[in-house]
Amino acid sequence: MSSREHILSRAKANKPDLLELPNLDLNVFVDGRDLIKEFKTKIEVVGGNVVDVVVKENVISQVSSLFPDTKANFSTLEGTQDFNTISLEALNKPHELEDLDILILESDIGVAENGALWLSDNQIPIRVLPFITKHLVLVLNKENIVPFLHQAYQKIASSETDFGVFISGPSKTADIEQSLVIGAQGALSLTVFIY
Amino acid sequence: MNHSKAASIFNKDEKKVDWHDKALWFVRHKRDKAVHAVEGWESLRNYGHGIKAHTLSNLDNYLIQFEENALKNGVQVHWAANGDEHNKIVHGILKEHNAKKVVKSKSMLTEECHLNPFLEADGIEVIDTDLGERIVQLAKESPSHIVLPAIHKTKEEVDELFQEHLGTKPSGGDPQYLTGEARKHLRKKFISADAAITGVNFAIAETGGFVVCTNEGNADMGAHLAPVHIACMGIEKLIPKQEHLGVFLRLLARSATGQPITTYSSHFKKPVNGNKMHIVIVDNGRTEQLSRPDFRASLHCIRCGACMNTCPIYRRSGGHSYDATIPGPIGSILSPGKDLTKHSSLPFASTLCGSCSDVCPVKIDIHSQLYKWRQIITKETPQPFVKKTSMKMMGKVFAKPMQFERIGKVARWSLRNLPKGVINSKPNVWGKERDLPSGPTESFDDWYKKRKDNEQ
Ligand code: SF4
Repeated sequence: MSSREHILSRAKANKPDLLELPNLDLNVFVDGRDLIKEFKTKIEVVGGNVVDVVVKENVISQVSSLFPDTKANFSTLEGTQDFNTISLEALNKPHELEDLDILILESDIGVAENGALWLSDNQIPIRVLPFITKHLVLVLNKENIVPFLHQAYQKIASSETDFGVFISGPSKTADIEQSLVIGAQGALSLTVFIY
Repeated sequence: MNHSKAASIFNKDEKKVDWHDKALWFVRHKRDKAVHAVEGWESLRNYGHGIKAHTLSNLDNYLIQFEENALKNGVQVHWAANGDEHNKIVHGILKEHNAKKVVKSKSMLTEECHLNPFLEADGIEVIDTDLGERIVQLAKESPSHIVLPAIHKTKEEVDELFQEHLGTKPSGGDPQYLTGEARKHLRKKFISADAAITGVNFAIAETGGFVVCTNEGNADMGAHLAPVHIACMGIEKLIPKQEHLGVFLRLLARSATGQPITTYSSHFKKPVNGNKMHIVIVDNGRTEQLSRPDFRASLHCIRCGACMNTCPIYRRSGGHSYDATIPGPIGSILSPGKDLTKHSSLPFASTLCGSCSDVCPVKIDIHSQLYKWRQIITKETPQPFVKKTSMKMMGKVFAKPMQFERIGKVARWSLRNLPKGVINSKPNVWGKERDLPSGPTESFDDWYKKRKDNEQ
């Protein structure tokens, strides 16, 4: 018998009688919080920065003043040719992104309860981008903030996702004597622009 | 070595024990703050428990569904009945791709199967990329905690390790500096890796995808740069639908470290063009545990570590004293299921205070399972002579109230009047590391009778 058959037959023989799958009643979680305020607070709690912009078109100029003199920049925002100093088409391997300074991506879901933003293959041209960049900038419309992860998954369900990630804050670790250090293997900072 | 003997080694450094205790209690405290801020937390735990219980009751079908969808997504699926087979499968995939350098992100399953030495024996370089795991790897140790693998190491010890292995400058243990150096060291490894191995936090039957959670981003740095990604999962990682992630991701990080969610929760489904993705599904004793009605709920565990952080025994005995991949309260349920004789002391490494069950996000009745193991172990494995004899004697004494009363009198008098040196002498294990209280003047029996008389 192959291990597959072995495992499946044992799982079948050893499992208990069928138990029902609980129905989730999302009403039990409602706490009436101000979503935008909660979202911003949580981003700061997890070590990110929040910037309010009135219109999306102002993001680039604000990023440039926050991070002056960066060499390798890339953004998926429209009309940002002047900002982009690298071209993804010219890359041979994702490894060449190692020196990327700033990456700007758009997200279409923000979760108030934990300050996480959803990115999927639709928004990430090369999967390693948001992890390998030194500084990550995410842009989100206020309208796209949902209260809990449950609602985020309702939105995600309708799209076919090959790879997706919730990002909440910059990369961090507390593995040396429990002191929190921002900037482990992934991005050193996260800035979220909300418009 | 039994747990109490191994713990006494850790207990030699009293200052370190205090520090360890406080560090973990601090994390437990953060967990409390985080969960108290969630409206409906108890419902969330019930949902977590219910979804896991349902999944286990239909496990074979969900495994088949998961495999079917994963294959459709272009992922290769492998099955391993035990740790050895798991290692051979992983090794085979690496050989097939001629992979010599592997970056691994934290996976307790590969620890459980002892994958690293297996691969290293064939000259394959395996680098653990979670900082805590890298620290214990450099120290040639195993993780002592499932979420905080190097919690038993002081920053000075890390400083010395890094000087020796990474050529860092002496920094007195500056965490910022050391983390920065580790980042540089690991980035080189990510860039040059031929393959990446990750664990799996949740696998979704409905989509054939899986989720990996990290704070450092190491799983993603590995998996997206290397041409081959191997994900290793125990069969119990399965959940039916993607929407159930909403429950488990809300529970996991809050219970683990008090964070509202881990920094990265990555959802892998299809490999990018030209790259390969493999999933190894592992049993290694899990279907056996499924067959035990009293203990099968231990398979609900989502490996948050909360039961360890809260356990008064774990905090004071250190993870290594459990001599098992999963230490602490949940480990003490899982380990005897694998080898009852080797791990017979673990279910006794508990005060049965129930704190573990209180914090468990998926509501495993940890302390009552420990109690059940104790009953089985007492019957099935040889007990130490002293314990057996003293239990027999106690049984006889309890059976004769007159005799019990006389002995009680002597004991109370002794506790009040004998010098400490006599009371805390060697045969009295209760006097080890603690002062006994002064004996009361009357027995409980007398006190109770008096109270009754006063009531009337
Ligand atoms: S048993 Fe419960 S508390 Fe302990 S690690 Fe598992 S999920 Fe967490």
